[in-house]
Amino acid sequence: MKTTIEKLFSFEGKVIIITGAAGAIGSAAGHLFASLGANVVISDLNEEGARKVAAGITQETGREALGIKTNATVESDLETLVQTTINKFGKISGLINNVGWGAATPIWGSDTDKMVKSYLLNTVGAYNLTKLCMPYLEKEANASVVFSGSMVGVSPSPEFIEYSTAKAGLMNMVRSMAVVSGPKVRFNTVLIGSVDNGDSTLAAGYTPEMLKALSDMFVMKRRGVPVEIAYGMMFLMSDAAQWITGIDLRIDGGGTYKSKMPGKD
Amino acid sequence: MKFMNFENYFDLTGKVAIVTGGGNGIGKACCLMLAKAGASVSVTDLKFEDAKQVADEILQAGGKAIALPCNVTKDEDLVAVVDRTVKEFGGIHILVNNAGGGGGGRENPRQFGVDKFAWVFQLNVFSAWRLSQLCAPHMKTGGYGSIINITSMSSVNKSPNMSAYASSKAAMNHMTANLAMDYGVDNIRVNAVGPGATKTAALASVLTPEIEEKMLAHTPIKRLGEADDIAGAVLYFASPISGWVSGQVIFVNGGGVQTLD
Repeated sequence: MKTTIEKLFSFEGKVIIITGAAGAIGSAAGHLFASLGANVVISDLNEEGARKVAAGITQETGREALGIKTNATVESDLETLVQTTINKFGKISGLINNVGWGAATPIWGSDTDKMVKSYLLNTVGAYNLTKLCMPYLEKEANASVVFSGSMVGVSPSPEFIEYSTAKAGLMNMVRSMAVVSGPKVRFNTVLIGSVDNGDSTLAAGYTPEMLKALSDMFVMKRRGVPVEIAYGMMFLMSDAAQWITGIDLRIDGGGTYKSKMPGKD
Repeated sequence: MKFMNFENYFDLTGKVAIVTGGGNGIGKACCLMLAKAGASVSVTDLKFEDAKQVADEILQAGGKAIALPCNVTKDEDLVAVVDRTVKEFGGIHILVNNAGGGGGGRENPRQFGVDKFAWVFQLNVFSAWRLSQLCAPHMKTGGYGSIINITSMSSVNKSPNMSAYASSKAAMNHMTANLAMDYGVDNIRVNAVGPGATKTAALASVLTPEIEEKMLAHTPIKRLGEADDIAGAVLYFASPISGWVSGQVIFVNGGGVQTLD
């Protein structure tokens, strides 16, 4: 009886571009989709990292994977990414706009330059790449684009003022894309809680003690692991999700909770 | 890279599921999907004959299932379903609160009383809360728990003549978020799936070609839902791959809004 389910979640013959894919979540997605039959394009600003992840995927799955350097804020880099993918694999069936980053900033410590840079990286880059991919996506069956959203984009996040406002913008952009692009291409967001992605989290200003305290705040009493986000992306891209577009799927350990009656929880 | 093997992503072998309203439509599709993933399924329905047909279909395909009669508004029925399931399969890991009713644009507030309103809540909300309460201890003992509430687009839409049904489904959404908090400590996840207009016998009773055309005009993916579209989302929430997802409501609705008016 299992074959029907394997078919629903098979990515055999699909070509999927993943940005920010040298990092923890992006590379987990790369491994996952390749293990389900896809050819994946591992795009990252970190060229060595991208090549390494792609080589690891090929070694592990036997699937051809491409590692390529992309600065998501440079349009010519995005064009190269799309063209190289087409030259190599001939099509684009899925896109994961995963790249993004934000630093902790005091709420009144930002400025135009920091704000614009965050918007260019976290929002505009995804818009530009998606636009370039659309002509190819529209030719493929059950084509789909998944965006990495963040819980900071839906809740007040004064600690991450540049990042959170850019992510909020991104998520509304996805909904707009979704309502006009069906039935050819589906657009969804995974809304990511705090995931253990190693160095990136530490670079954003967290200490191990802070991370322990953060884990305890979640309903599931832990931070997520990267592949749990990749599983959500996989579900949204699969044939099981063919009637799903324009949604935000929260993968956040049930969220965090603080009692409104301090001391009584 | 720590992965489960693909066989494990959706592998529910050894898991036991209860599906209410499992005899037809979305509930039936959920039963078949969970059984395909290897779960033993208690197919429960007000109409025992329908439940039995679904259970037989699963058995014939090599799966495990029992059929049980269940009126979810009767506490003794809910208790019996849990007892029989545990007796038969040794535990409970997955609960799909799918049984429900009301709505259909038939709730003119000038023409029904508070008793009918209370009945709709009894059917759609209290039953799901009570069955979750009955199943949770078994999920805790079994070390795996996923409760999936079938809500509705009406929980967020504004429509005429839907005040009882729509508000009961809105209550279900919020109950989902709250129970996720309560049962999270026992590693039980609580999520909801909100179907848009899905092609079932229940929808056929109110659908006209004109209404369908209007619905599709507001739906990016230009078709109405199939029961399997909903069952796919239920499978995601039932499976180990959604282990860090709780308290969520996802709408499976072709990206759009389908209303009867």
